[in-house]
Amino acid sequence: MIAFKNVTFAYSATDADGRAVEQGSISGLDLTIQNGEFVVLTGGSGCGKTTVTRLINGLIPHYYNGNRNGEVLIDGESVPDTPVFETAKKVGSVFQNPLSQFFNVNTTDEIAFAAENQCCEPAEISKAITETAASMQIEKLLDRNIFELSGGEKQIIACAGINVLSPDIIVLDEPSSNLDSEAIEKLKAVLTDWKSQGKTIVIAEHRLYFLRELADRMLILENGRITKELTAAEIKALTISDTEKLGIRPMMRPEIHCSHQNKDIQGDVLLLEDFCFTYKDGKHGINIPRLELPANRIIAIIGHNGAGKSTLARNICGLERRCRGTLTLNGKKLKAKDRLHHCYMIMQDVNHQLFTESVRDEVMLSMTDKSLTDEQKIKRADEILSQLDLIEYADTHHMALSGGQKQRTAIASGIASSKPVIIFDEPTSGLDLAHMKQVSDQLKKLKDMGKTVIVVTHDHEFILSCCDHIVRLENGCAAENCPLGK
Amino acid sequence: MTFGLSSTSDKSVLKLDPRTKLCLLTAISLIMVGGKTVGAEYILRVICAAIPFILLLTVRHIKSALIYMILLGLSVFCEGSVIPHISGAANLILMIICGILSRFVPGYMMGWYTVRSTSVSEFMTAMDKMHVPYFITIPFSVMFRYFPTLGEEYRSIHDAMKMREIGQSVKNPFTYIEYVLVPIMMSTVRIADELSAASLTKGLCAGGRRTHICQINIRLYDRLLIIGALAMIVLFFVF
Repeated sequence: MIAFKNVTFAYSATDADGRAVEQGSISGLDLTIQNGEFVVLTGGSGCGKTTVTRLINGLIPHYYNGNRNGEVLIDGESVPDTPVFETAKKVGSVFQNPLSQFFNVNTTDEIAFAAENQCCEPAEISKAITETAASMQIEKLLDRNIFELSGGEKQIIACAGINVLSPDIIVLDEPSSNLDSEAIEKLKAVLTDWKSQGKTIVIAEHRLYFLRELADRMLILENGRITKELTAAEIKALTISDTEKLGIRPMMRPEIHCSHQNKDIQGDVLLLEDFCFTYKDGKHGINIPRLELPANRIIAIIGHNGAGKSTLARNICGLERRCRGTLTLNGKKLKAKDRLHHCYMIMQDVNHQLFTESVRDEVMLSMTDKSLTDEQKIKRADEILSQLDLIEYADTHHMALSGGQKQRTAIASGIASSKPVIIFDEPTSGLDLAHMKQVSDQLKKLKDMGKTVIVVTHDHEFILSCCDHIVRLENGCAAENCPLGK
Repeated sequence: MTFGLSSTSDKSVLKLDPRTKLCLLTAISLIMVGGKTVGAEYILRVICAAIPFILLLTVRHIKSALIYMILLGLSVFCEGSVIPHISGAANLILMIICGILSRFVPGYMMGWYTVRSTSVSEFMTAMDKMHVPYFITIPFSVMFRYFPTLGEEYRSIHDAMKMREIGQSVKNPFTYIEYVLVPIMMSTVRIADELSAASLTKGLCAGGRRTHICQINIRLYDRLLIIGALAMIVLFFVF
């Protein structure tokens, strides 16, 4: 049994001027989780759901510092007074980012890692690994390099590591953020299995549809307080308008289908020809001899992990020099090198594409037109920043911005570069409902400015909120290319 | 993946114990950097230069083995046959370059082989068996684990720069370095932070000795090689 008794926690942080500040996270939380219960924590970004998971696995207060009050007990024992490695025997954790939760490079070593740390017998660990691999059907993934696996496979390896030590409590912090629908199904199967073994599961999530049948209780948090508590029956009864009102993602996965009306593309066309490209491993790649896309629309590229979505986006952008394909835009035939001047990509991790010391400099960096004077550039930059509600942060360093603000900064520099095609790679991974809507508004604004927007995504809710056209990839080929049916 | 500790060692013909590798690495570095190029030490140098080449072949890194041989051959050839015939600044520059190459490349290649052919858990097991404390072992293994991540981060940043048409490496090398370093450092901090948190929840530093599912053993050829390496070090100091 996990018990929170009037728990308040605020992270210690330093503000932009180096002063110590406290960021409130949860306040006055009272919560009891019974053994074998499956609890879903949800709510907007910064609502405190991750903090709850960290209080359970002991990372607060043993790793993250802050001001803490109240008691957190597991089976009557206080978590803050127990060393983390003792708590680790009872609580297994899965994190959001599959990239940074592995200590080893080899998958088998990683699965064994937690058990090795607890000094289990090597023979028993090996036996447990074999059994886990059989029950989770991951024999193929054993003894592989973790860097060669997809995000979904990495999350399954993380789950397998927990299975070997088999703790009674498992906490998951947004495990589905980087996963496609197929990988989410696998994750769901693992969760179902754990639930049937009677494990206590606490999961913090934005995407909820895959938890509909599993959840015994759902807690909606806001500003560090539980604002709504739903039972299993209530969760199953939630309709789309209910979840909309609660400000959470829907409990059903919306289906996406083609519209059979006006199949012919009206207006200008982006024509892709000979987009054939294979990675050096010879296995992955794309093979698209011809693809017509409508200009000045929002186009979603969908498909499973490994179907070639990101590869296609990189090729459209001109980042792969070996690609011989051409893109015809406004009657001009563009080769890979020329496409770099016409396409702009907002990456999944926007931290990789912000380089300067302030948001305004970032936008001005993209203005390569030498005929503009500095004053004109500043004026233009400020115009763009006010369009994206960033003007008040013009002099702020991007490290001090939130995720969404960073993404808007990247969008702003895309607009400043005056390139006609803007590509997004997974812009909504790990976003709550409100932020997802914000992103879809940005995309619509870009469309109004006359840009062609291409989005690589597996977020169906997001596609329905703003896209006009879909391209579905299968094994590197375009399986479907049609307007989106509303 | 071209960088960082290996994931599996299936491909290797000869599986050495990490301790043997460390012994050889020490011997090669000492002798190649400090040795003279005449007399008995010349023979030691030839042996030391050949070891990384052979070992790289056993893990099928044929390309790097060949590059190594060519580099070393060229610098030895220059030292012996070209440098005596030229004079002035060219002589000095060539001598410095060849001297550095012939002395450091073998040690570097041996280090590269060690890193490429040892997995994180083999490394931790070997260190444990040598009773090296965790406060040395763990930071080292995290460092090795981080190399491939660093490579991935660098590629993304390089792409972003290409797309934004900034920081051409040839025209403004300093801007280029600044633009690469700032995001890399930011993500290093973030990844290191998340990695430490994840390792803690997996009970790293639980106290007591960790157990290991990975089996490493000193076999006959390990013994022979270790004795050989020690003998070379002794000979090196005697002469």
